[in-house]
Amino acid sequence: MHHVAVVRSQVPHGRIVAIDCREALAAAGVAGVFTGRDIGLRPYGRRVRDVPILAVDEVRFVGERVAAVVADSRSAAEKAAATVIVDVEELPPVLDAEQALTPGSPRVHETPWAYPGAVVSEADPHNLQSRVLHGRPDEVERRLAGSRHIVDRVYRFASGHQGYIEPQTCVASVDAEGTVHVWMANKSPYRLRAQLAACLDVPPDRIEIHPVAVGGDFGGKGSPMDAPLCAELARRTGRPVKLVQRYDEDLTSANPRHSGRIRVRIGCDSDGRLTALTADALFDGGAYAGFKPIATVSLHGLVDIGSSYRIPAAAVDVRIAYTNTVPRGHMRAPGAPEAVFAFEAAFDELASEAGLDPAEIRRRNLLRTGEANPWGETWVESRGLETLEAALAAYRPLDVDRGWRHGRGIAVYDRPTSPGKTSLRLLPSAEGVVAEVPMPETGTGAHTVVREGLARELGIEPGLVEVRQVSTAALPHDDGVGGSRVTAALSKAVAEAASAYIDRGSDEAVTVVVEPGDNPPVTAFCVQIAQVAVDPRSGQVRVLEILSAVDVAQVVNPHAHRLQIEGGAAMGYGLACLEDLVMRDGRVWAANLGEFRIPSTVDVPAWRTVLVEGGRGVGALGVKSVGELSNVPTAAAIAGAVADAAGVRARDLPITAEKVYALLRSEEVS
Amino acid sequence: MRLAFLLNGEQFETEAPGSVLLLDLIRGCGLWGTREGCGVGVCGACTVLVDGDPVSSCIYLAGCALGTEVWTVEGVARREPDLVEAFIEHEGLQCGACTPGQLVMAAALRARGKDPGEAATREFLAGNLCRCTGYRSIVESVRATLGS
Amino acid sequence: MDPDFAVPSSLDEAVRYLEHDGAVAVGGGTQVGLLLRQGLIEPSRLVWLGRVAGLREIQRDGDGSLLIGSAATLAEIAVSPLVRSAQPMVARAAALIGNPRVRVVGTIGGHLAHADPRQDLPPCLLVLAAEVRLLGRKGTRDVPLRAFFRGPFETAIQEGEVLIRVRIPASPEHTRGCYKRFTPGTSNDYPTVGVAAVAEIEDGTTRRAAVGLGGVAPRPLLVDLPQLAGRPLDATALNAAGQAAATACDPASDQRGSAGYKRAMVRLWTERALGACRP
Repeated sequence: MHHVAVVRSQVPHGRIVAIDCREALAAAGVAGVFTGRDIGLRPYGRRVRDVPILAVDEVRFVGERVAAVVADSRSAAEKAAATVIVDVEELPPVLDAEQALTPGSPRVHETPWAYPGAVVSEADPHNLQSRVLHGRPDEVERRLAGSRHIVDRVYRFASGHQGYIEPQTCVASVDAEGTVHVWMANKSPYRLRAQLAACLDVPPDRIEIHPVAVGGDFGGKGSPMDAPLCAELARRTGRPVKLVQRYDEDLTSANPRHSGRIRVRIGCDSDGRLTALTADALFDGGAYAGFKPIATVSLHGLVDIGSSYRIPAAAVDVRIAYTNTVPRGHMRAPGAPEAVFAFEAAFDELASEAGLDPAEIRRRNLLRTGEANPWGETWVESRGLETLEAALAAYRPLDVDRGWRHGRGIAVYDRPTSPGKTSLRLLPSAEGVVAEVPMPETGTGAHTVVREGLARELGIEPGLVEVRQVSTAALPHDDGVGGSRVTAALSKAVAEAASAYIDRGSDEAVTVVVEPGDNPPVTAFCVQIAQVAVDPRSGQVRVLEILSAVDVAQVVNPHAHRLQIEGGAAMGYGLACLEDLVMRDGRVWAANLGEFRIPSTVDVPAWRTVLVEGGRGVGALGVKSVGELSNVPTAAAIAGAVADAAGVRARDLPITAEKVYALLRSEEVS
Repeated sequence: MRLAFLLNGEQFETEAPGSVLLLDLIRGCGLWGTREGCGVGVCGACTVLVDGDPVSSCIYLAGCALGTEVWTVEGVARREPDLVEAFIEHEGLQCGACTPGQLVMAAALRARGKDPGEAATREFLAGNLCRCTGYRSIVESVRATLGS
Repeated sequence: MDPDFAVPSSLDEAVRYLEHDGAVAVGGGTQVGLLLRQGLIEPSRLVWLGRVAGLREIQRDGDGSLLIGSAATLAEIAVSPLVRSAQPMVARAAALIGNPRVRVVGTIGGHLAHADPRQDLPPCLLVLAAEVRLLGRKGTRDVPLRAFFRGPFETAIQEGEVLIRVRIPASPEHTRGCYKRFTPGTSNDYPTVGVAAVAEIEDGTTRRAAVGLGGVAPRPLLVDLPQLAGRPLDATALNAAGQAAATACDPASDQRGSAGYKRAMVRLWTERALGACRP
């Protein structure tokens, strides 16, 4: 097997004049050096296909792949890669989303509308990746004008990395028949196959994605990433190739979270009842749009802002811009933690204008069963109020050290549960059954759901069910991990497969394919109460506890369910207080895990979880989604608690000690 | 140079530069349980024991292991299978990428004696990052293996 | 080219190995491993001091000063009964550095020779008036720590020399020390500000006070506070000390804080660290 090292752009924007590979080619162990000119411009992407395999003529961010060295060891490849001289004529970069959408700013792409899957047109601002307009802006303005209280604020968000411990990895080989084989830490193998087929221009049945356990995903392992490059290199060198990103490459060049800002305007009447909401969001999508999978090429969490409440009129405008920075992708409930942070913070500020307690204003406005949310959706049940009351009932204030101030903050989120398409094959084993599944285990317990679900349906011990991920050649389809749909989809597949297995008249295997189909519209609420201690002299914030009340139906595995809630809250804590993928001059500055810090054992607060049982779920097991629930309201709850403790409102994330300190000082001055 | 040390209880010898990183040497032997995460000694996924002490093999010069006793997660799991059982029992893992390091840290802490309490256990594990669990179940798994 | 890896068993041998052009002394190897991996250094030879006889010993000298061999690890210093009784602040600070894996490998010699201005021990050793002994071909010389740090990653160590020992003189009676490490984001990080304070207070009157500062200048700083002598260590004195330290520091803005914030925190944590030295 050969190893690949990548030569990356050191400038945010430039024209490639020449690439001198002579020394690398002559180096010991090197089998080949390839550039974008060799590979050709065949861009890939999850929706918009705008990401080149290797840069051709132009580089658009610091960290972009410019050349690839194939050698017989990783260190030989890396040493040779360091000798490649890339002569670049620098071009003016655009490094900020606001600037990117200003007329006359440098163009990141000449004709972004021309990429397959693009959702922009020539008439749009030249650096626009996507824009989603939703709701009734005129009605919002009319109602805001008649509101008793109005809040108009801007909230800001740093970029962040998904922080999985296993970096992006890929192995590819091409067999004698020309079939491309890929082993990759990717959470959606069937989609990867389709994306690769489109890029490599080969039929999907000539690509086989093999099973690999994924060492953490959190939204970051859903793109083809290095697979097109590895497939091309394997094809050209005739040998399998392996590319393991160094973690600094992953931080600087993969697909971290979008940074951006949201302006929120909300109003209420004299009783604190919401009258209208409008949100204007502008996010930085980086140099390529190809890492966003949904049809709108947007972040659906932003578009759903305010979803937990009864709001008579609402409107959103979500724009994502191209800039000469690292391309951005998805991270656990994309856009939702930001939208909830902005909305809940504005809501707290509105409560204080209206003279209401943060709990009381939420109580008055939470969606009741049968009511439509601001975006016209209704659910079989809306259990936000029960969930809020459960959280408040469980709340116990904690002591703080002398000189520190205590604060409490509340935030609410709800997320629909919608199964995806998947398939499953069940075959007999010596003592029980083997379940072949198409989706990888990313650590969330997907395979546990299958094992325990089948054990229950077949009336056998879980230990007799062997769950095995199989390659894309073995099963018809799967939507992959994501969108909190795994348990819902798998539980449906488990039920159908078990029933077909019991009914079959022979010893044969059964294969089922389940479509999302008609499901009752179900949403799950999560209410969190954060408790913090703030040192007013340094601004330091200690988060003492995150109490999560979670609206559940059936819980398949209580341990795995609880870990999803706690792990999510830990991620929410990192977003709130710590994580900042600092960029300077277009370059990711926090380029290792010593600089981009994620929470450790001693940082995280205590977790308390209260399950609000009795909800109605989907699928045969009757479940509500949990994977992207508890990470969402945490930052908002912490921000509320900091405001309660310190009397000042931090409006940008992360909430560092310095920001709180500065707010306290400016308060003192005024 | 001639590098010789005990690896998981067995004599190991190879010819390699002393500046090679212990992680690369170990993985080169087919012991793939030791993982490269951050590559800068911060995340703990590459933790191994050298003479009983946990070290970050991703920044540890193999030459410094000369004449020592090195244990990787494979050897630790064989030697102390109850550690693995405790992590399963207490759900001390999700994706598993950090788990080899957590297991080796658990072995190192146990070798130091009885349960130092939750706060001290958390301090000891502060350099072993996990992005999945939120840590409670890892701390419980580790403490479950300690005598009280 | 891979560097050769020399394993001297005596100091004489170590010095001979170090005469080689491009040779680098290695304590535990954590920093050298990191720098090598990142391609930031390309030494021709690594001279590992881990097998030099006697180099990791911790002893008490006849005059009461503490002698710490340069190959003593941070973990050994943290638990050493001698260090804990003679200079508890040093033991406590050593226990806070990095993580357990760093502490069992990293040595005091490597820690000081690396001269990262954000490190924890330099401020402590500066206020305790420590000195280091350097050994080279021409023999040994003792350098007070206040003259040792020249800038970021720069020290008084010359080509061919190796740091072999740290000496911390016995503190006068009635002296107390305290190290405060302010890590507002995650404690698993370099400090935004590190303040080591010592105060000799007898019958309520300060005889001598000083603070050492880490992370707030291109090198660790020593701030003597003669203005505190002869008066009680009260709120006014603490305020004056905070002001003096804030004036003396020269922080740079980075992701751990802006220069202005670090300066404000130097003031606050100087007051807190010095305040904690009161009997």
